[in-house]
Amino acid sequence: MELELGLALPGSDRTPELGVHGEKRASLCRKRGVDEMLAKATLPLFIQKDNDEDGDDDSRQSKHLQDLNFGSRVLVGWPPVKMWRRKSNNCSRRRANCVKVNMEGVAIGRKVDLSLHDSYQAFFLTLGQMFPKKQHDGEESDAAYYKVTYEDEDGDWMLVGDVPWEAFIQSVRRLKILN
Amino acid sequence: MVRGFGWAAAFPDEVWEHVFSFLAADADRNAVALVCRAWHRIERRSRRRVFVGNCYAVAPAAAVRRFPEVRAAAIKGKPHFADFNLVPTDWGGGAEAWVEAMAEGWPHLEELRLKRMVVSDDCLELIARSFKNFGVLSLVSCDGFSTAGLAAIAANCRNLRELDLHENEVEDNCLNWISHFPESFTSLVSLNIACLEGDVNTSVLECLISRCPNLRTLRLNHAMPLEKLVSLLQRAPQLMDLGTSKFSADHHPELFFKLESTFAGFKHLKSLSGIWEAGPAYLPAIYSVCESLTSLNLCYATIQSPELFKLVSRCKNLQRLWVMDLIEDNGLIAVAASCKLLQELRVFPSDPYGVAPPISLTEHGLVAISAGCLMLHSVLYFCRQMTNAALLTIANNRPNLTCFRLCIIEPHTPDYISQEPLDAGFSAIVESCKDLRRLSLSGLLTDRVFKSIGASANRLEMLSVAFAGDSDAGLHYILSGCKNLRKLEIRDCPFGDKALLDNASKLETMRSLWMSSCSVTLGACRQLALKMPRLNVEVIDERRGRPLESWPDDFPVEKLYIYRTVAGPRSDTPPCVWTV
Repeated sequence: MELELGLALPGSDRTPELGVHGEKRASLCRKRGVDEMLAKATLPLFIQKDNDEDGDDDSRQSKHLQDLNFGSRVLVGWPPVKMWRRKSNNCSRRRANCVKVNMEGVAIGRKVDLSLHDSYQAFFLTLGQMFPKKQHDGEESDAAYYKVTYEDEDGDWMLVGDVPWEAFIQSVRRLKILN
Repeated sequence: MVRGFGWAAAFPDEVWEHVFSFLAADADRNAVALVCRAWHRIERRSRRRVFVGNCYAVAPAAAVRRFPEVRAAAIKGKPHFADFNLVPTDWGGGAEAWVEAMAEGWPHLEELRLKRMVVSDDCLELIARSFKNFGVLSLVSCDGFSTAGLAAIAANCRNLRELDLHENEVEDNCLNWISHFPESFTSLVSLNIACLEGDVNTSVLECLISRCPNLRTLRLNHAMPLEKLVSLLQRAPQLMDLGTSKFSADHHPELFFKLESTFAGFKHLKSLSGIWEAGPAYLPAIYSVCESLTSLNLCYATIQSPELFKLVSRCKNLQRLWVMDLIEDNGLIAVAASCKLLQELRVFPSDPYGVAPPISLTEHGLVAISAGCLMLHSVLYFCRQMTNAALLTIANNRPNLTCFRLCIIEPHTPDYISQEPLDAGFSAIVESCKDLRRLSLSGLLTDRVFKSIGASANRLEMLSVAFAGDSDAGLHYILSGCKNLRKLEIRDCPFGDKALLDNASKLETMRSLWMSSCSVTLGACRQLALKMPRLNVEVIDERRGRPLESWPDDFPVEKLYIYRTVAGPRSDTPPCVWTV
């Protein structure tokens, strides 16, 4: 089941949804970030597949070989991405590690890719951008004062920040921000 | 009036030399050299720049003999598909023969640029010792050398202005090679070490930068931590081209402020790259230079869409943008609205092998760019879907395209709305874009598209084809048309013997032809080689069975590389390559 919902103020720009002839764009499992730049309350929902439990995408696993699988053959050198770029991407980009984040009292959840962060500080910064909370003087906070909990591989709920970052990203299954 | 060509003697040689010095293009100089013996002699003695597109097309000694006063040489080795693992690593392209000949015959050489060649440390040492006035060394997509070789360059090239190492495989065995630049060395203008993997001693680099007041280009490698980067950059506020190192760290407000003020100090920065692993924390430090940037390379920065928006939409004067598909359609729409001077766009796949969840980058992004950026002439675009309608729109919007490379990641992908092949779309591109010089095709394509290309692509110089066509007719259309075709590379297409043999003479007008996983037989290669003595027909087979001579004519050729040459078959073929 594919679900695509968007919340926006009336009159917000929706043309990216339409193609050249005005047809609806058929996109599978599309994931977009927060559209902060437009300064409108457009909060795209993530679209998820039914069996998307841990952020792993089963149908893609057969393609995790270095080269693309095409029929029964493994294609060497396709797509034409330079070896050098492939190597540097492997160094700097780990496998996507998406976990769901829910905030207490907020119906709409988000998803954060932990592999793009290398420390708790960076992670909290992203959380703060995803779930901004206005202080009394109207300034946005950083997420330092959030109580964030996570469910680990044993099913226990723990406070985020107690274990080293590397250990955390191995064991985290999903996150909950307490209000 | 003086009859015959005696008028050439009406002026002394120096006058003609001066006249010829205004001819930059090799083609023009070649034409001049054909007019008469006197001009041939004068031209060859005054040619200062030589470009050798295929290192095996001419013997090094012959080139050096013909043009004895060369100051700048550029040489290319392996076929382009070597970038994608299709060429065996031992295929060839070694630089020794050339470097030895140049050391012998061009002692005044100042500039050397090598691309896709195997360069050993011995080569680098020879370069370092042989050319007293050596100023520019550029190695692009090369391998075979280590930082020990770079140390030799640093130690001996007293007047080095430019050291450009771009996407090379470099072994790191001399950690302190930078310290081999002597204290008296101050001439550096451009340093690009982005491809080096190892740590570079920051304090040594800082000293080097401090004593080189003319430094304009500095591209660092990934390894340097952000704190060290900041103190380094404070020594070079005059930079015009910067490639940063790793752009992420634990968040420290103090470090952010230092980084921000360092960038604010760059009054002349036009080009920015690197920004490896950029996180949202430090990216805003760059904002102050965005307005002045003309070139931005974010293809190593795994920044997500919102941050990309913010960054790129501030760069109002951008002419060149290289970015990951993480920018998505919305980001490109923003670029189309903000970057009105954009000339070149390259969008790379963040996840070419389809492991992570898919990205929302489609044909819409490219269409938006083609509509909004009137000066756009060069495109490289990786995506997963396309329509003929989109390509038609792009063709109509941007008839000024000179380079169009589209890679739809899944082979044989049709127009996703009509399910038709993309023949009509690409035909529109070649028919509308009369100055198109480079084209890469992808998606589901029949012979029809090749008919259009052969007929319309009159300025096309390089064509890349993969998983396309139905029959020999496709190849025939290309080879019998495309008047200016120089390089043709084909993989996984049903093209065979007939088209090749029917168009044998065309191959001598081109630099090279690569065909792999097509339908060519050994017999056709033998016939071709017999018919065209000035072509090297190289059959590449990595299975290393019996020698080529014992194989039958109907033996299917897996990889084929044909190039014109005046040097005859080369003597350095490895076991997997046979010159037929």
